[in-house]
Parts: sequence; structure tokens; C-alpha cells
Amino acid sequence: MRITMMCLRNLLRRRFRTSLCLLGIAIATMFIVGIGATTTRYAAVIREMNVFFSGDVVVVAKGSFVVQGFPIGGALQERTVEDVKEVEGVKNAVPMLFVIASEGFIQPVPLNISIGVPAGNWSVLVGLTPLRPGGTWPSGDLSEKETVIGPSLADQHNFTVGSNITVKNYELEVKGVLDTRSALLSRVIILPLELAQDVYGYNMLINMVIVEPDEGVTESKLADRIEEEIGGVRALTGVERNEMVEPLLHDIETWNLGIRSVLFFLSIVLVMTVAMINVSERRRDFATLAAIGAPRSSIVRMVITETGLIGLFGGLAGILLGMVATLLLASFYTNIPISVFIPDIFIIVSPTLMTEILLSTIAISCIAGILPAITAARASIAEVLRAEY
Amino acid sequence: MIVKTVGLTRTYRLGASIITAVSEVNLEIKEATFVSILGPSGAGKTTLLNLIGLNDYPTAGKVIFKGEDTSLLTDNKRRKIRLRDIGFIFQTFNLLPTLTALENVELPMALAKISLKEQRERATQLLESVGLKDRIQHRPKELSTGEMQRVAIARALANSPSLILADEPTGELDSETGSEIIKLLFNLCRKQKTTVIVATHDKKVAKIADITYEIRDGSLHKLTR
Repeated sequence: MRITMMCLRNLLRRRFRTSLCLLGIAIATMFIVGIGATTTRYAAVIREMNVFFSGDVVVVAKGSFVVQGFPIGGALQERTVEDVKEVEGVKNAVPMLFVIASEGFIQPVPLNISIGVPAGNWSVLVGLTPLRPGGTWPSGDLSEKETVIGPSLADQHNFTVGSNITVKNYELEVKGVLDTRSALLSRVIILPLELAQDVYGYNMLINMVIVEPDEGVTESKLADRIEEEIGGVRALTGVERNEMVEPLLHDIETWNLGIRSVLFFLSIVLVMTVAMINVSERRRDFATLAAIGAPRSSIVRMVITETGLIGLFGGLAGILLGMVATLLLASFYTNIPISVFIPDIFIIVSPTLMTEILLSTIAISCIAGILPAITAARASIAEVLRAEY
Repeated sequence: MIVKTVGLTRTYRLGASIITAVSEVNLEIKEATFVSILGPSGAGKTTLLNLIGLNDYPTAGKVIFKGEDTSLLTDNKRRKIRLRDIGFIFQTFNLLPTLTALENVELPMALAKISLKEQRERATQLLESVGLKDRIQHRPKELSTGEMQRVAIARALANSPSLILADEPTGELDSETGSEIIKLLFNLCRKQKTTVIVATHDKKVAKIADITYEIRDGSLHKLTR
């Protein structure tokens, strides 16, 4: 306790230098939190998407880019679904149209996701997800132009049951709002398939078919059969869908780790440099301590505690800044106001991530203090004291 | 005999040349003696005190402290002797700037793992004894040079050492304050039976010392009155 107090006073004695060092650590930590939280969230959302179409085979056009079974680009003739139904071992096949709406090139998170599903087959997409009270599913009557939307979209624009929304010059009536925390379903606009084809100009086209196997037929066997019998399609099992995103997730995690390593390295250099300057300025203090009988371990502990305190306070400030930065990033990438994200801040920047980053920051600051601490403890008492006269 | 040196020599390498700071010093100092070592600047006073105070290692010869050959001791044992048996008073006080007067005096006791309550009581009492009752919560920069030296004396006495080494204790003080400090050290020697070795270039100190040595070019000679 006394050493900590002494260290705090030593840091406060060099306020300007300490503040600059804290600022450096805080900025590095802010980037680590911001990038870490964003990439972790991306990875979590991508992994979460694997819960869709569990046990089913997803058929998409060959050559289309697929994330957990959801195709980006590519199209199939609507009649493909009839061909699929002809394949032995198929219990049911549901066509879907999956369209991502985004603005501009640098927006990796879509504004919304429209999914066309044949009326009455909603559960193939949403499973048991309920609607908020008062909502109903669209009747499927094309003239009605009805839709069900995700809660994040609804809350952002204050849409409720009965509101009208405009998609591609089509005015749609909100019949229901999903009650879910799923990242994908939160931003979804679910339409009857024909309406979706109309709205997005996919005349008689779809881009995915969800295929339920007969009892006793395995996903992989069915997928093989579909690919053999129908040309120009890929049939993906749940395992394959998951495996396909692993390289993407691996890349995200590698980049995250790489950026974190570089920032931690820069933090080490910063803290070590400042600690070295502090130590060289206080050689007489350390020599005096050694002369009056302080063990080297006390001097080492003192210097390392000082750098550790820089890590603690810089890390805490950085985490706070990082939370703000993460909100700003999320808002920037999605065009969704920050206020929508605030209630979920501890989901986006999880306490586990915060603790991990804070402990890492303290640890690397302590590591950065080792060399200056050894330098302080090794100084020859006689030489230092003699040099003072 | 509290300190005995045998053929104590300390040389330094300065570029290509070797400088002898202390040469073949043979010294015997008994308990409760007030010793002054006179010499001009650069004569080797500080080096000699550093060797006696186990802050430095001799190039040749040895220091025998309370009958124990310190050249045979580990670093840790030498440190423990410095902590419990030797008090240092430096010309430039060397108080830790971030600590109050009280905390500076408590520091050696904290290092000796004395209880906090005892530290506080003894440090307060020591500061009172050097006339700084009202200044215990002040930091060094808030004290005059004389007051700083008094704090340094109180710190040197913290663990009740048997030997006090004072290196030019009056060097930074005006003559009146300097005389007070020397008086304080002399009384300490007499009342608490502490051995005090003062390195100084001030000949007035020699007048009250029990034994006076003169050091010139690293060689020590006893002066007779």
C-alpha cells in the first residue's frame, strides 16, 4: 500500500510526462477495444447465423459467395425448387430470395436484409421466434403488400404494427415486428416471396432453396444427390456452411490479433521509454534507497508498480474511450443512431473482453517496467552518490 | 572496535589512467567515538565513507565491521548491516522528494519491517528531537536546507544504528546552521553512545572531535592536537 502511494506520488510529480504516457496507452487501448469488439461481434454474428436452417440442406447457385448458407449474389430459376423436390430423399423444399441493402462500398454492415419467403413458410426462416404483441404474419395476398420487420429496424425508425415503410418505391405495411435479439433477424424485412421478387426485380428468380431431408436421409447424402442431379447448383450441409466461414473468421481473428500485437508492442516501447527517463532522473533516489538498506527487490517492485499503475489507469481510460469508439464505429458502419446501440453496449463490448484487455494492458506495462527496474536496482550506490558532488 | 580497515584501497579507471581515491588506509574506530576526517574536495573522503559504509567495494584491503570481515559477506548481508547498523547523512540530504519529513524518517523502519504504529511513534519522536515537531507533514521542498539536514539526521537514526556516517553534513548550510548540526551529531554521540564519523573540510569540526584524521590524495593520517 505504501509503495503504491509512493509510486502514485512519483507519477504525479511528473504530471505532464505521466499524462502523455497515459494518453498513449489510452489511445492504444481504445483501438484495441474498438477493433476487438467490432471484430468479435462480427465473428459472433457470423457464427450465430449457423443456427438457421439447422438439419436442412441449403441449395444456392454455383459460384455465389455464401455466408452460413446466405448467398450474396447469384440467382436460380424459381422452377429449380420443383427439380429439387424430385430428388429422392427430399421431404420439403422452400424457395427464398435473400437481398442485402447497403449504402456505399465502405459499409460492411447492411442497412437491412430483405428475405422473401413463400407465405405460410415463415417458420423455415424464423423458427419459433415470436412477434411482438399485436403483430400478425402477412396473408400472402400480393395486393396487400405486407411485411414483418426486425426489432432493431422498428426501434430505429419507430415503426410499429400498422406503420408504412418504403422499400424501392414500394410502400409496405408492417404487419408484425419480430421479438428477437438475433443480429440477422433484428435487421430483417420479411416479405412474401412474390412481393420480394417484385420489389427487387427478381422476376421468377430466387437465390436459395431450403431443403428438408426425409427421415433417415443424411444431409450430406442428400446434398450429394442434389448436386449430381441438378446442374449449376451447390447443396450445402450445416457442417459445410460452417466450414466455409471458418477461413473468414480465422482472417478476422488473425487481423485482430495482429493489430493488437502491434499496439501492445508500441505501448511497451512507450512505457519503457518513459520509465527509463524517470529512472535516469531518479538515480539518486534509488541510490539513496539502496544506501539506507532497501533490497533490490523493493526498487524493482517500485518501478514495476509505477508502470503497472500507468497500465491500469491508461487501460481504464482506454476501455471507456474504446466503448465510445465502438459505438461510433457501429453507428458509422450501419447508419444506425448511437442511441440504438447504447442499451447493448455490454453485449457489443463484453465484460470478458474488457477484463481481458485491462489485464493485458497492466501486464504489458509491468513487462515494460522490467528493464528500467533492473537498471534502477543495479545502479552502483557509490558511483551515483559520488557523481552528485 | 566498531570499524577497522586493513590496507583499504580503492582505485578507479578513468580512461587510460588509474586514479587512486583511497590508498592503504588502516583505521581503527572504537564505539561511541566522534571522529572527523578532514580533507579538501577530491581528497577521497566520500570514497572512504562509502567503503566504510559498505556502499562500495575496495580494490584491495578490507573493512571489518563489529569484528566481521565484510569482504566475506553477501550483498544481502551487507545491505542488512547498512539498514540496521549504519546511518547515512549526505551533503545534499538525499531525502526522497515525494515523501513527507515523517515518511522519510519512517522509510528505514519500514524497510526493517517495523510495525507501522512503532514507525510513526519513533519517527515523530526523532523529528521532535531534532526540532522539527511542526514540520513533520512537510515535503523536502517545503523545508529549509537546515531543516532538510535535520530530517536526514532523524532518518539516519531511525533504526538506532551503532555507526553514523556523515559526508560533508554542513556543506550546504550556512555556518550557524552548520554549527547546530555538528552540535546535534556530537550530542548524539555522547548521549546515545553512537559512533559518528564526519567527513568534512571544516576545521571547526575537528576541534570538537575525539579523533581527527586528515586525508590527502587518498592517504589517511591521524592528526594530534
